[in-house]
Amino acid sequence: MDSDEEDFVFVGTPIEREEGNTSRKKKALAEVSGQLRTLPSWKQEVRDEEGRRRFHGAFTGGYSAGYYNTVGSKEGWTPQSFTSSRKNRAEVKQQSILNFLDEDERADLEGQLGTSSQFDTFGFTTAEYARKQAEKEQQSRPSAIPGPVPAEIVIPVTESVGEKLLLKMGWRRGRSIKDSHANSLYDVRREARKAFLALSSDDAKAHLAESELAEDDLESFMKHTVKDDVPASQSTPLFVLNPKQDLHGLGYDPFNHAPEFREKKRSRVSSNCEPGNKKALSIKESLFGLKSGKAASGFGIGALEEYDAEDEDIYAAEDLSDAYVQEPEEPSRSSTDDKQKLVWKEPGVLPGFRVASNSDYQQERFNPPVIPKDFVPRHVFLGPLVTDDKYAVPPPLEVNPPEDNSLKVLIDGVATLVARCGKLFEDICKEKNQSNPLFSFLSGGNGHDYYAMKLWEEQQKRSNQSKLALDGKSTPSVQKMTAESRGKILGERPLERSSRESSASVAPADTVNLQFNLSNTFTEAASFGELLEIAKPFKDDPAKQERFELFLKEKYKGGLRTIDSGGINNMSEAVRARERLDFEAAAEAIQKAKLGKESNLSSVQLMEFSAAGGMQFTSGGLEKIKDAEAEDLMAKKMYPKREEFQWRPSPILCKRFDLIDPYMGKPPPAPRMRSKMDSLIFTSDSLKAKNVEETIANRDQFPLAIYEAQEQSKEVTDQGIELEPVEAENVERPVDLYKAIFSDDSDDEVETSIVNKADPEKKIEAASNTLSRLIAGDFLESLGKELGLEVPPDPPYSANKDTTPGPHRELNNGNGGSANTVPSKLMSSSDRSAPGRTPGNKQELHDLKVSEELETQRSKHIDDNLPISNRKYVKNNLSEKRSGEVDMEMAVREDRRRKSPSSHHQDLVSCSSSEDDRSRKHSRRRQHRSRDTYTDSSSSDHRSQYQSSSKRREKGSSREKSRSSRKHSKHRRDGSRDSPSRSSHRDTGKGHAEGKRQKRRRRD
Amino acid sequence: MSVSDLPTKETNVLKGHEGAVLAARFNGNGDYCLSCGKDRTIRLWNPHRGVHIKTYKSHGREVRDVHVTPDNSKLCSCGGDRQIFYWDVATGRVIRKFRGHDSEVNAVKFNEYSSVVVSAGYDRSLRAWDCRSHSTEPIQIIDTFLDSVMSVCLTKTELIGGSVDGTVRTFDIRLGREISDNLGHPVNCISMSNDGNCILASCLDSTLRLVDRSAGELLQEYRGHRCKSYKLDCCLTNTDAHVTGGSEDGYIYFWDLVDASVVSSFRAHSSVVTSVSYHPKDNCMITASVDGSIRVWKT
Repeated sequence: MDSDEEDFVFVGTPIEREEGNTSRKKKALAEVSGQLRTLPSWKQEVRDEEGRRRFHGAFTGGYSAGYYNTVGSKEGWTPQSFTSSRKNRAEVKQQSILNFLDEDERADLEGQLGTSSQFDTFGFTTAEYARKQAEKEQQSRPSAIPGPVPAEIVIPVTESVGEKLLLKMGWRRGRSIKDSHANSLYDVRREARKAFLALSSDDAKAHLAESELAEDDLESFMKHTVKDDVPASQSTPLFVLNPKQDLHGLGYDPFNHAPEFREKKRSRVSSNCEPGNKKALSIKESLFGLKSGKAASGFGIGALEEYDAEDEDIYAAEDLSDAYVQEPEEPSRSSTDDKQKLVWKEPGVLPGFRVASNSDYQQERFNPPVIPKDFVPRHVFLGPLVTDDKYAVPPPLEVNPPEDNSLKVLIDGVATLVARCGKLFEDICKEKNQSNPLFSFLSGGNGHDYYAMKLWEEQQKRSNQSKLALDGKSTPSVQKMTAESRGKILGERPLERSSRESSASVAPADTVNLQFNLSNTFTEAASFGELLEIAKPFKDDPAKQERFELFLKEKYKGGLRTIDSGGINNMSEAVRARERLDFEAAAEAIQKAKLGKESNLSSVQLMEFSAAGGMQFTSGGLEKIKDAEAEDLMAKKMYPKREEFQWRPSPILCKRFDLIDPYMGKPPPAPRMRSKMDSLIFTSDSLKAKNVEETIANRDQFPLAIYEAQEQSKEVTDQGIELEPVEAENVERPVDLYKAIFSDDSDDEVETSIVNKADPEKKIEAASNTLSRLIAGDFLESLGKELGLEVPPDPPYSANKDTTPGPHRELNNGNGGSANTVPSKLMSSSDRSAPGRTPGNKQELHDLKVSEELETQRSKHIDDNLPISNRKYVKNNLSEKRSGEVDMEMAVREDRRRKSPSSHHQDLVSCSSSEDDRSRKHSRRRQHRSRDTYTDSSSSDHRSQYQSSSKRREKGSSREKSRSSRKHSKHRRDGSRDSPSRSSHRDTGKGHAEGKRQKRRRRD
Repeated sequence: MSVSDLPTKETNVLKGHEGAVLAARFNGNGDYCLSCGKDRTIRLWNPHRGVHIKTYKSHGREVRDVHVTPDNSKLCSCGGDRQIFYWDVATGRVIRKFRGHDSEVNAVKFNEYSSVVVSAGYDRSLRAWDCRSHSTEPIQIIDTFLDSVMSVCLTKTELIGGSVDGTVRTFDIRLGREISDNLGHPVNCISMSNDGNCILASCLDSTLRLVDRSAGELLQEYRGHRCKSYKLDCCLTNTDAHVTGGSEDGYIYFWDLVDASVVSSFRAHSSVVTSVSYHPKDNCMITASVDGSIRVWKT
């Protein structure tokens, strides 16, 4: 070979064919025989049988076309393995033709034309569809009108404005509003996908995945398109009445999964119902069945049948496994039922019966009962009611009370009296006081509006009360809501009202009502004449007794009281009012005694009355007739008393009792009204409960209870001052008041703050306490209003009124306290004052009780001596005059009282009212202001006075009762014992927690 | 039930208490009974056989009341030492002590689920204690009573307390209401009728009063016995046909429920009969007395 090459000159590049061939052949042989085969496919080179690589062209893959010169893929044609585990269930992939299409084919397919509900611009298609649907439904039930429903019935002729608007906004009829949204969402998704596809088409892997995704989306798209139609029909509100005619439960559809049976059933029913129509219906049915493609759906489709869209739908919609539906008693019964029904439709004939030609039954007619001749077809009330025109009178406008308080009081008083006594009184008043500018309100002057309003209110009240009284005992607590009561409910005493219960102690309420009744009518004269000698409840106090008798006389003899009998008297309005209530109560008791002579009840009633708070008017002893039997009777009548309160069980208690907390999620409970009364009054054990009940029961007779309360408290304070040995009475003091008296304010606050920290429960308690105190303050204010006097919102001597214990102090000062402190202050001031001033002060002091002539004398005297006190005197005088005019009966009584020998200083103290005191105090303060020496001393003076009195009270009370004080000391002891133990508890708790923490740390 | 069926025959005398027995109670099914007394012990008996089974000692002062859970697994007791003891019946150990009453505890009861103990104290309060949690603080304090609470009864939804202030107060948990029935006389024991419609209250004026619970009406009064100063139990018979109660002169009285006539009375003890407890099913009754004995009565 080599020699050959040397011999020839070669031009050009030789084609090394043979060589190459052989070598390639060798190579190919070698590959076939071994090593190259082991290479992975993409490293193998594809050659033909001669070992040549095939060159496809520079732009069509070079040496490697397809998948390395194959039509395979990396995975090749290996089938996907099916894996499904319990946790990871394989989803049944619904394959469609799109799964098997290539990209370009798919694109072609998408481009294909088709109907889309989206472009159903005028909604004709859907309307048509809906109509069809309606027809279908119509056919599914037999209706009164056989045959297909006329389109006009089903489809509304005109479209509503809302529809128009919606249409303008792009909504098309027959499509739900939601759909467009879903579609748009879908569109967006599709766009995004397309973009993504375009971007990543060269990346094989991502591409594949994406294509899968796309397929999914397409699937969902298909679903969408399918769904689009379904809601389209549903959203058209073609209202079809579908009477329930089967015996299935409501909403139960035995053909839910087997509509084909429904067809059958329907045909049966319709054949039963309308045998005449059968043929037409069946034809329609068959037609319809063909249309809907449901006729043979239960049994599949033959292999040779053509696939069309509806057939596909069948597979999607229906489940063959559910085709067997049990239809329990329906088929067997329905036929007979229907037959029965058919028969029934013939009027009024039972199956197997025939209509009788004549009936025995004749409607029997009864004559209406004969109305007695004297029957008046209208109920006439027995009592001389303030007639209904009261109600017809429209309420006058709400008018603000005049600024002048005294005028307001005057107007109030006059209004009350006018309401009670009638128009006559007003006339008399007008006549008498024509010249008096103060009474100008009667004749349209200043404050007339207010007067009118007040009068109306009073009349309303009165008529209500009298009505109430006539209503009888059955409904003692029925109360007509007046503006006042509503105001009370809303503002001043909401809690009382809420906890108001019907109580057994009806009697007082009724009695007072009775009083009103009586005074309204001016009747009941004769029988009470002899009352006077029977009962003398105020024997100990002749003056009072006298006044009482007068009161009785006036009360029962009728007529009006005259002012002249009284003249100016030294009793304050409040005291008079109180006394009057006493009198009324006593008179009532006596009257009852009178009425119920034959029964033993009488004396008991009287006694009961005195026990229930009327103690004051006896004070020495209304003779109590001990009658065990009567008492028993009474007790029986009284007990058991039922009351109801709110009570808040703790949530955990409810839980443990397996009950639902009735107060779940509600704010902490309101404090009970009783606590307020507790904190207000020093009451004896025996009295307290009754008092409370009374106040609860006769809220409308509120003043009575309050007066009692007041008097009781006053009595106690009086006892404290006088240091008189009191007979052992079970006075129980509530802890709050106790604290308020004996502990410093600061002390108290500290305590409460400690308590607050200590215990949430205690906190609640404290809160309720303060609330009750506030209520007490409120209460006081309202009380003041009732009495017609002004309670200063912030008395200067109790600077700490706003703090918790304040109101109690105020209470004492306001009611009882002022009664005793002020005179003594007067004394002290007079003592301190210069000797020259002494007579003036003394006179001032006497000013309340001395008689008229004395007063004129004195005024002269004062004119000489004291211009300042004179000013004050004039004012006092004026107010007293006014009050005298207002409250004439009081005046009368006061007059008596003034004449009585027993009126000395002590008397003054006991009966001087807070109002007078206040006015005196005010003027006094004015005086003080002018006299520098007392300005600052007054408050401290008062304070010390107050404290000393309370101390004295303490002494007295501690002497007078052992039990309650023992209780209290116990309480205090307990309290003191309590707090350390609690703190120790806490300490131990803390220690425990710490120990735990340490343990944990150690463990860590 | 006729009068002849009343348990008037003494079948057993349970002796063991030193000093007065203050309470004797049947357990839920009436097979056993518990007693407690001034000797600071609680004793478990089988009254039908007259056997003393167990003594529970832990109280520091007299034991005034004892109650057992329906499943007989736990006891609660209270007394002069101001504590409520929560016992395990089988071991005789105290599981828990509830402190918090400010003074002596007069009565104690489990609720239906034995999850709460309600105690009535001289400190004018009813307190509810939780047996489920480990807290020893009361879960509820009811202090609306005006005087010592002497007796407590529980229903499924209500706590009922009788107090010396003369009231029987029903605290309805479901309604969140307190209903106070004032009887006018100090109440020293209340007991429910078996139908749950009435409350029998023993008042200190020697009268038992039967009060309708729903309306608060006084249905009947039963007199004849003497009850002026002791806390004497009263109860209705298992059929609600009769009312029974002890007397301070050692007698036991049976009244007809309806016409309030004394149908039977006999001297049972030499001294004050402090407690009576009627068998829930049979005509059997146990009485306890200050004389230190418990007697079992059958027909």
